[in-house]
Amino acid sequence: MSEPTVPVSFEVYRFDPATDTQPRYQRYTLDLSPHTPVLTALLRIRAELDPSLSLRYSCRSAICGSCAMQINSKSRLACETHVGPEMERHGRIVVEPMRNQPVLRDLVVDQAPFWREYNGIEPHLKLDPAHPMPEGRPTSMSPEEVERFKETPRCIACAACYSACPAVEADSSFPGPMALAKLYRFVVDPRDQAHQDRLVRIQPNGLWLCLRCHLCTEACPKDVRPSERIRDLKEMAIQVQGATERGSRHAVGFKDNLVDRGVLNEMKLVRQTYGMVGMLSQVGQGLKIMRKKREIMHKPRAIQNVEEVQKIYEALDTKEASR
Amino acid sequence: MRKHDVVVVGAGLAGQRAALAAVEAGVDVAIVSKLHPLRSHSGAAQGGINAAVGAEDSVDTHIYDTVKGSDYLGDQDAIEFFCREAGPTVVEMEHFGTIFSRGADGSLARRAFGGAGFPRTIYAADRTGLALLQGLWERLGTERFTLYEEWELARLIVRNGRVQGMIVLDRKRGEFEAIAAKAVVLATGPAGRIYGRTTNAHSCTGDGISAAYAAGAFLKDMEFVQFHPTALLESSILITEGARGEGGFLRNAQGERFMSKYAPHVLELASRDVVSRAIVTEVKEGRGFSGPYGGYVHLELMHLGKEKVESRLQEICDYCRHFAGIDPVTEAIPVYPAQHYMMGGIGTNIQGATNLPGLFAAGEAACVSIHGANRLGGNSLLETLVFGKQAGIAAAAAAKSAATPEMHPSDLEEATAPYRAWASRAEGEDPSTLRTEMQQTMDQYVGIYRTEADLLEGLKRIRALRARFQHVRVVDRAKVFNLNLTDAIETGHMLDLAETIVVGAYARLESRGAHSRIDYPKRDDAHWMRHTLAQKGPDGPVLSYSGVAYTRWEPKERVY
Repeated sequence: MSEPTVPVSFEVYRFDPATDTQPRYQRYTLDLSPHTPVLTALLRIRAELDPSLSLRYSCRSAICGSCAMQINSKSRLACETHVGPEMERHGRIVVEPMRNQPVLRDLVVDQAPFWREYNGIEPHLKLDPAHPMPEGRPTSMSPEEVERFKETPRCIACAACYSACPAVEADSSFPGPMALAKLYRFVVDPRDQAHQDRLVRIQPNGLWLCLRCHLCTEACPKDVRPSERIRDLKEMAIQVQGATERGSRHAVGFKDNLVDRGVLNEMKLVRQTYGMVGMLSQVGQGLKIMRKKREIMHKPRAIQNVEEVQKIYEALDTKEASR
Repeated sequence: MRKHDVVVVGAGLAGQRAALAAVEAGVDVAIVSKLHPLRSHSGAAQGGINAAVGAEDSVDTHIYDTVKGSDYLGDQDAIEFFCREAGPTVVEMEHFGTIFSRGADGSLARRAFGGAGFPRTIYAADRTGLALLQGLWERLGTERFTLYEEWELARLIVRNGRVQGMIVLDRKRGEFEAIAAKAVVLATGPAGRIYGRTTNAHSCTGDGISAAYAAGAFLKDMEFVQFHPTALLESSILITEGARGEGGFLRNAQGERFMSKYAPHVLELASRDVVSRAIVTEVKEGRGFSGPYGGYVHLELMHLGKEKVESRLQEICDYCRHFAGIDPVTEAIPVYPAQHYMMGGIGTNIQGATNLPGLFAAGEAACVSIHGANRLGGNSLLETLVFGKQAGIAAAAAAKSAATPEMHPSDLEEATAPYRAWASRAEGEDPSTLRTEMQQTMDQYVGIYRTEADLLEGLKRIRALRARFQHVRVVDRAKVFNLNLTDAIETGHMLDLAETIVVGAYARLESRGAHSRIDYPKRDDAHWMRHTLAQKGPDGPVLSYSGVAYTRWEPKERVY
């Protein structure tokens, strides 16, 4: 007695730096039941068809974080992506290495940049000698304090978020979603004594480079929701330090604009973000925009019922204050 | 040549804890790990870590439960030390930054586990291993030691009766290198992949156990292999004992909570060997379910309610949904036992020392022995930390008094000659075929219930595979991340270890803990209350036996 199978066709990225000048795609076909994980399929390819195919894998249960790769252009864990749905949606399964990390061979990437960012946020408890840990017993932590960790302890460092992130691709000074989610985990830890320092230091060091595209949250196999944790960090950073960075001034100015007239005053927002002097650096860009979009010159009129917008913000502020 | 005072091989919890202890002792430390430390299999541990910290509980009860769980094969002096260290170890991990689950009063939450007199298993939802691994790695930091990341142990170099260093493969460059060490700690975890049906990660290939065996160390109690009662059907992914600890039921196809027949007092929370045998018996006697992946029983969580299941067993929900396509909130989970843990391993004392000077071991790779014939759930995470620390302290002390290691420039050349031969063959055996046949053999002949005839057949087959392995061939010519080569190296390791398991099981004419001989169904304390020691001889393992250490607990019949 065995389950029905279907033919599944794989296009797998192959590259050996010793012999190849550029990558190629190799096709393999296997008969598989639809719920077969892609990892199982790749291991069968290795065992039955081609022992030279290389990849990272270990636990096969989405807890070690080894087998992240691109499957039909999405950064996923191969062990928990099933062949059936991929075949239904795409008619074939294209398997490629993760992005934003140099390829070492086939599906294996160099994770050094990813680990560097993780180490860069100083992922360890920082203690203040004035507040030592209780001697011989665990610290006490209320369920509310535990709740604040939210989903971050589930992170398995698979780097799917790092692979999916366009900000990482665009700007190497961006720490990436995983490192920032990890930073969040330390910022909300009641045992850590460096919350403020962590928040002050991350403001100019990449926090505001997040584009809020949420591709990290989509990619995350453990529902850590890095983009939401980054949003939380931004809010906390402004609370601690005020809007001192271009990114935070832009966020605060954006809100001011909406509360004021229910619509963006883009000239004002640029001034708020860059300051009067800083605006000069944006003149070239500004002229380009003005040529295409003349109305940007004029101060927008308030929208009808702007007080409805103001009510929304008031309600949000009250909710925030009561948190 | 690379040189360090202490080289720790393996970077799961035991290896990291050993490295931390050695760093704190002020010696030069390196970690060799074939995975990034955060990808170690310790991270897959789900249910929790035992410590008798509750007001109603006591260290003595923890000791008694562990002795009884071991079916009186655990060394009681080691078990006493182990259980006394439990409380301080958990507190230390909490101070290091581990995020544990909490009770409403802010204290560490505890759950019931199999074979335990009280709820003493402290946990972090159902990802306790991951929480500990993150906490320890983040405490250890990266600045205080050298990390050889994705370097894999091939063999140890022994000269003048002492370990001098090792030959390792840098997977990323595809180069072998020699590392000299004044002391070596092996913390490479288990060899669960000897079996096909296993909860273990693909990386669990017993590299360190095999290297120690080849170097002349004794392997202890290798025949004691734990089968976890509740692995998901087909994938054998672990479903934590915590699922039963939270109140989950086991039912057969007749809807009967069958554990009442096998462990009338504690039912589903009997120790693992008892529950695994019960499930196999139910299926064999026709009361199980059957499907394309064989017989099975049901693990039910539905009656616990959505809130409890989704908060306390969050990862289990994901495993069931992703890997079995079922929702444990509304559906029963199909489970069957699978290989899960090796009670045996490199024989050590409480300090982690082996019979080879300069060689230490800790964690699942080692056998102290505290688990004896059967390990209790929640004791393995504790073991990694308690004895990892001891091994690190002892290795650092040994390194301080050791002479400069004697490694010769020719060591690397000589040790790697076989690997070059594997690559130069025009034809030969495929390592993954040999591995699959080994796994099928072990599943079929060296499983939960054992007989003389089965074990003889298993031995014959494993020996035939070892002979074929002499002609193993590596066809992949690439240097970088050559999995064909590492498959071959690891298959060689596992075939050696498989032989020690079968030989040990064949020789032990009794049933004790996880070793169940149908032809010798009773425990035989008069003849077999002793540890099996296997040392590598020219024609396979040579067995000898050693006594079990006793302190206060007289052997009794084991009833749950």
